[in-house]
Amino acid sequence: MAKKIGVYFDKSNIGAGLDLDALSDVVTGKFGGSCPVVKVFPVLGAETARQEIRQDIAENELDGVLIIGSSPRVDWDLYRFEGVTVERVNLREQGVLGYGAKVEAGEDAEADEDLFKLAADYVRMGVVKLTKMEEAGGGEVESVRTIMVLGGGWTGLTAAVNAANSGYDVVLVEKEAELGGRAKGLLKTVPLKYPYTDVHDTGIEQKIAAVEGNERITVLTSAKVRKVSGQPGQFTAVVKTKDGNQEIPVGAIVMATGWQPMDAGVMAPFGYGTLEGVVTAAEFEKMAKEGTLKARRVAFILNTGLVDGGDIYTSVCDEEPAEAAAAKPEAEDDEQTSYEHKDLESLRHLPYTNAISSVVALKQAGYVCDASEDGQAFILYDSMVVQGIHERFYKAAQDKLGVMMSKADITGVAQAEDGGLLVRAANTLMGEDVEIRVDMVVLPTGMVPSTAKDPVVWFDYRQGPNLPDLDLFDGYADSNYICFPYETRRTGLYAAGCVRQPMMLDAAEEDAIGATMKAIQCIESANRGMAVHPRSGDLSYPIFNFVRCTQCKRCTEECPFGALDDDEKGTPKPNFSRCRRCGTCMGACPERVISFANYNIDQIGSMIREIEVPDDMNAGGPRVLILACENDAYPALDMAALRGHHWSPYVRIIPVRCLGSVNAIWVADAMSKGIDGVMLLGCKYGDDYQCHFVKGSEICNRRKENIAETLNRLGVEPERVEQYEVAIDEYDKLPGMIDEFMNMILEKGPNPFKGY
Amino acid sequence: MAQPVRIEPDLQFVKELQAVGGESLKKCYQCATCSVACPISPASNPYPRKEMVWASWGMRDKLLNNVDIWLCHNCGTCSDLCPRGAKPGDLLAALRNMAYQRLTKPSIVGKWMSSPKYLPILFGIPAVLWAVVWMIMASVNGTVIPEGTIVFGKLFPGDFTIDPIFIVTFFSMVGIFWKGTRNLIASFKPEGKTLVLGKTKHWILHLVDVLREEILTHSKFKDCGDDRSDRKVGHMAVFYSFIILMIVTAIVAAGHWGGKVIPAIALHTPMPLLFPVKILANIGAIMLVVGLAILTHRRRQQDPEKTRSNYYDWYLLNVIWFVTLTGIGAQLFRLADIAPVAYFVYYLHLVSVWMLFAYLPWSKLGHLVYRTAALTYVRMMGRR
Repeated sequence: MAKKIGVYFDKSNIGAGLDLDALSDVVTGKFGGSCPVVKVFPVLGAETARQEIRQDIAENELDGVLIIGSSPRVDWDLYRFEGVTVERVNLREQGVLGYGAKVEAGEDAEADEDLFKLAADYVRMGVVKLTKMEEAGGGEVESVRTIMVLGGGWTGLTAAVNAANSGYDVVLVEKEAELGGRAKGLLKTVPLKYPYTDVHDTGIEQKIAAVEGNERITVLTSAKVRKVSGQPGQFTAVVKTKDGNQEIPVGAIVMATGWQPMDAGVMAPFGYGTLEGVVTAAEFEKMAKEGTLKARRVAFILNTGLVDGGDIYTSVCDEEPAEAAAAKPEAEDDEQTSYEHKDLESLRHLPYTNAISSVVALKQAGYVCDASEDGQAFILYDSMVVQGIHERFYKAAQDKLGVMMSKADITGVAQAEDGGLLVRAANTLMGEDVEIRVDMVVLPTGMVPSTAKDPVVWFDYRQGPNLPDLDLFDGYADSNYICFPYETRRTGLYAAGCVRQPMMLDAAEEDAIGATMKAIQCIESANRGMAVHPRSGDLSYPIFNFVRCTQCKRCTEECPFGALDDDEKGTPKPNFSRCRRCGTCMGACPERVISFANYNIDQIGSMIREIEVPDDMNAGGPRVLILACENDAYPALDMAALRGHHWSPYVRIIPVRCLGSVNAIWVADAMSKGIDGVMLLGCKYGDDYQCHFVKGSEICNRRKENIAETLNRLGVEPERVEQYEVAIDEYDKLPGMIDEFMNMILEKGPNPFKGY
Repeated sequence: MAQPVRIEPDLQFVKELQAVGGESLKKCYQCATCSVACPISPASNPYPRKEMVWASWGMRDKLLNNVDIWLCHNCGTCSDLCPRGAKPGDLLAALRNMAYQRLTKPSIVGKWMSSPKYLPILFGIPAVLWAVVWMIMASVNGTVIPEGTIVFGKLFPGDFTIDPIFIVTFFSMVGIFWKGTRNLIASFKPEGKTLVLGKTKHWILHLVDVLREEILTHSKFKDCGDDRSDRKVGHMAVFYSFIILMIVTAIVAAGHWGGKVIPAIALHTPMPLLFPVKILANIGAIMLVVGLAILTHRRRQQDPEKTRSNYYDWYLLNVIWFVTLTGIGAQLFRLADIAPVAYFVYYLHLVSVWMLFAYLPWSKLGHLVYRTAALTYVRMMGRR
């Protein structure tokens, strides 16, 4: 709670069109006592200026510094001062540029006045924010420096060795009796090294040996996780082994539990199960490995249109595949019986696997052609998906005399007169419908992630044992945000390999290393009381004032990351290292129980109250409050201003951590203050969400509907509060959105509460 | 739905195709850039995309019955633009090479033409033939190199050696071409025909159109990419110099044989240098050198990543060089009066000319007849 604040204006950034001396007077006039130092620097970024600020801090015993100039998103490295809280007021992008640049200084007195009012509001809001802010810290969690790796296959083995080599103890949990996973069943792998043209041995044996010979790694085979409780840095995992249950303290978890073959029964239209010689790629690989492959002519069918209609966007029938639905995960104890896992295996896993199936077909076609001089392999595809460097393998495979490829719609597989098989195809590149006599037909194997069938980790969290919303990803433990691979909805759990998305050994290896790094970051962050992601390094955390808590459970239910457990009475039990500091709990709480040291209800409310609202809308203009998500919408506003876009001088922008943290009371504060409208600018939500905190903007939208209802009851038009979805690259659309909203407000007229 | 076609890939055939110039054919990934880029490919079922997949799949019959390979004039635009270096232009050239082998009987000659290792046989036959003539005349003359003014007729008299041998050679060639062309046209038949509305023309009229509109003007060379004027000039120079030399040969033959009946038109070789027919002959020779130089230079400049000249290309170019240089050389040495060299070079000239004509139907020069036949055929079928 800053009590002695130094206020510094940066003339070089905001001098144009703004009378900074007059603004200084506003500060001294209103906060004279708490702002003993108010200065205007010609260039605040200069070392001499910062030297002077350091001097001021020492001489006047300042505990807060307010920098008024450019956006806090730039030059943040310049304004770090030991021992004081620093806050920035963005008068460049969202003041002078966003509006002021519209008019030349001094030419339009009215416009200048609007700009000055805007600047004065922002400066006052800045000072108040600083006075309602404390240095964050103190949330350290004593971390266990052990990483648990789930799955002893290619990915898990890589992760284990990588973690151990980085100086962490590893517990490797494998459900089978032996290490190696599915990679062990491969005869050869698609090339993983230069020149990327020829198949070779996987090298899984060396990986197993490296794990078994590593002292830091404890291997538990025939083992399964039954429960994980606690929080990152201090998890307790209960693992069921041959020798009974073991309780193991772990700091973070890498989930590399891989995939299982899709139920091949769905391939019946291709003759699977009825015609001899029709097999899946997984079965074919097994035959190759065992050396029982005799076929000279083999058709590899990659176009599964007969089964899935060829359109991955069609909705998947719930009843399919019928057999898989019947196979419920075996419940192993009482706690697990109460939970029912929705089986997420579906036909979509076929097209999802296409990139793998394509390359595997090339590899297996090579088995056929290399085995005998007259070997012939026909690859019939809808789309060959060959990613990245594997293009070289594609070219090499293509060059083989016996490999023949064509786009084709398979019309059927039938028994040939001589006992072989006939594959019939239409729409081929040869220009006519063809039939090919083959000895074997190989169908692709859909890779179903282990998380589609089972919660795998069995979290002992209030929100349940499973990862939430997995159905959005058809069971893959993926987070869908491109920027944050390996992340799951549970802090401390990082997914790698085919459980995350279908991939080959090379990508799985990279994944394993990435996920291990995240696990290490998690342990080290918990140890320092910092957020891991995406607010990496944030020392603040939610603080609960339980005296006022009514045990309504909204915070525990809405937390997108399951950070809050509760006791029998329903009192929330925070787990700081699970928390990502989005503030959704703070936004949810009707009793305003939850706050952060540097971000809280009172702080934002007080800032809103610093906005001067003219009594007469026609004379002084309306006022609109914009609560902007600081991840996307706020930078987009900055970008819009920097690229020469302008917007109304009557809006006041306050950044929020996430729209999920917006508490209804702020809207109430704004409306009762006479502000004519509130715009909520946040990320896209829904299935293709872009929200950093997954659920924030969606939750905010839900709350907004409640707010609208309340407003309606009070006789205020609900349209005055509106939420907009903005992507970070849509900066050019933002000014238009603001204009549209302002026009709507002007049409509606002043807020009926104005002047009360 | 049409009855599906049973595919029986003939991988041996693919290997053969690769051996005669189509070695990159498997690199094709069917993007069809080639068919789009080709300036002269028809709009329906354009080549060479479909030929590439047929080749990759070893669909022998499809390729052998395909008239489109003759529509291609081998400008190389498709190969230049191919993103995979699959060289579709080379594949079509290879298919034509294969057609020379396959259509023309006896096929043993086609085999000899397919690889440099058989070159000694090809060279040896005329070398022995003309050496025998030389030896007979040497015994008649009583000396290996005739005495006095150099007159090649002293060693290789037209009446009893050159003319009968070349007349037999020429008519055999025509006969072989006749059969080959019939085979060619027969092979196209299974592909069906386009319904042509209105009056249909006799094939001879179509042939005249082909000659007039395409061959004499080289109009397809112009359509084939726009920056290939050197190729058109080179090919046209060689083409017209052949016509000039053919006219000269005809005049000389007419003068020689006609002179026996009507002494007024009698023509005796060697002709004086300023005699109009001689001037025409030497103009033809110079045009031939220029044309050959252009074509040879062009082939040497080709990017081997894009287009590779095969043995058929080099064989033909080199045989024509051989003919040209020995012809000019014989004349120059005769004028310089160096008898042994002049007679020997003339001997080589006869060997090379015989090689050119006798093996013509199996060589790349066979396109002279086969392409003309195919172009006439497609006009009749209405495929343009």
